Amino acid sequence: MDINAVITIAKQELIINIRNKWTLIFAGVFSVLVLAISYFGLLTAGSIGFQGFTRTSASLLNLVLYIVPLVALVMGTLSFTSEKSASELLFAQPVTRGEIWLGKLLGLFASMLTATLIGFGLGGFVIAMKAGTAGALRYPLFVGFALLLALAFLSLSALIAALCQRKNRAFGVVMFLWFFFVLFYDLLVIGGTFFLKERTANHFIFASLFGNPVDMTRVASLMVLNGKEIFGVAGAALTKFLGGEVVSILLLVLGLLVWIVAPFLLSQRLLKRQDI
Amino acid sequence: MIQVNHLTKTFGEFTAVNDVSFEIKPGETFALLGPNGSGKTTALKCLVGLMPPTAGEIKVDGLDVWKDARRAKSLMSYLPQYVNFHDNLTAREVMQFYCRLRKLPETRIEKVMSGPQFHFNGFTDKPVQQFSGGMLQRLGLAVACLPDAPILLLDEPTASLDPERAIQFREFLTTLKQAGKTIVFTSHVLADVEQLADRVAILVQGKLVALESIAALREGLMLSSQMRVVLPQADEKLAEAALVAGTREAVWQGNSLLITSAPETRMDILAAIKTAGGDIVRFATEEPSLEDIYLNYIRKEQ
Repeated sequence: MDINAVITIAKQELIINIRNKWTLIFAGVFSVLVLAISYFGLLTAGSIGFQGFTRTSASLLNLVLYIVPLVALVMGTLSFTSEKSASELLFAQPVTRGEIWLGKLLGLFASMLTATLIGFGLGGFVIAMKAGTAGALRYPLFVGFALLLALAFLSLSALIAALCQRKNRAFGVVMFLWFFFVLFYDLLVIGGTFFLKERTANHFIFASLFGNPVDMTRVASLMVLNGKEIFGVAGAALTKFLGGEVVSILLLVLGLLVWIVAPFLLSQRLLKRQDI
Repeated sequence: MIQVNHLTKTFGEFTAVNDVSFEIKPGETFALLGPNGSGKTTALKCLVGLMPPTAGEIKVDGLDVWKDARRAKSLMSYLPQYVNFHDNLTAREVMQFYCRLRKLPETRIEKVMSGPQFHFNGFTDKPVQQFSGGMLQRLGLAVACLPDAPILLLDEPTASLDPERAIQFREFLTTLKQAGKTIVFTSHVLADVEQLADRVAILVQGKLVALESIAALREGLMLSSQMRVVLPQADEKLAEAALVAGTREAVWQGNSLLITSAPETRMDILAAIKTAGGDIVRFATEEPSLEDIYLNYIRKEQ
């Protein structure tokens, strides 16, 4: 593995994404979301004003679970299925296809990391100034899970790009994937439980968590952000099923890592003998 | 330098390159010629490691292009038919990227970009989105020249250049050729092939139908050189005299005798006609263009 080549490609990818303004747009979106949710989060309860980190993170979670996968899939598909003529020149260089693919993934992740750190960092700074630093240590963990989720969906976009090769087809598939993981998956799991006995259905629901990186991120984030209070009985059953709170979080992180590594390795395997 | 052994490339049921073998010597300029869909770009892409062959093998300096890709590719530079770069990068940034990728000293960038053949004056630090098709092609060629690799592989290199730039480009390739580079290119532009190539491989429907020097190609074809001899009137005796002197075919067209022969026999034929009593009014030679040869092969194959 030529690390120099990987870093060169990653840097180029980061520069392209920053110049495309994608990174800055997403940074702006994240920042506005954090501030808006923190300020208007209690509007239905009749009050407005900045809330602390824990409450803001919990409110922000659902939006992050919608936006981060979408952004990662769009950015990933744009990059991994770049213009054929640009790819030809790159793939004709004395670097392996694996190095090119890894460089692109790391560059894309660096772009997402930049957007996330700027967006959530700026929002976090304002919250710290206005509402204090209580729960501030859990906020970076929540951002960390969002980044793991981004990496998992970037990895999925690499796989889809390798499978589809053409940009239009790849976009169609990633849109389906987004709907599937964000909306349909839970409906399917709930539907599946109707055909199972109660005990089996519970185990099925808990195990099904690992089939969806969005669900894993949701549960892991909630566990980090005062899980017991938020989860109630279902959360207690889940942590018992998985072997305790810390083990549960570690298992969920491990699950996310599998979702990052497996699609990417599969995409590299597909790419290895593909026509460019 | 390059050995292609029984190269076959299929896309599903379609065979784009069919059992093609040839060898390219160091310092040789080699053209792949053929109509659209004849497999010349596919063959070139297999050579540069962009497409894995379905069967056969390609070796560059003894290295298998597919199994020892990194080392084999470090000996080659490739210019695709259509060049495209990210719009928001400048020409210099594009060059820097490929320079770093190949671990070259950055001094190479100035050396290549200041070359008169590239004409980057004023555009070096402008975004690529402001470049015309011809300028993109020149940037692509500059990237290809960056590593000073011993082998240059060019796919339709003059396709998007205006005539003036195409002439300059041919001159530039001639200097590279004189510098000892091995150049392999595909082209529809017969002027490129006639001016630059030492040898030509003609592909028709994926098959190699000819592999010869341009002169040998001309020589080997019966339609080779023609000479039109204008006489006061048609006389079969004069045609017979021409045939005896080495004419392959002699046909009367009005009072013109159309003679097909090897170029070196022309003077003998003219002398024979004169000796036989022919009062030659004037004569003109008609050299077959590469296009004639190329079309003849295609017709024969199809």
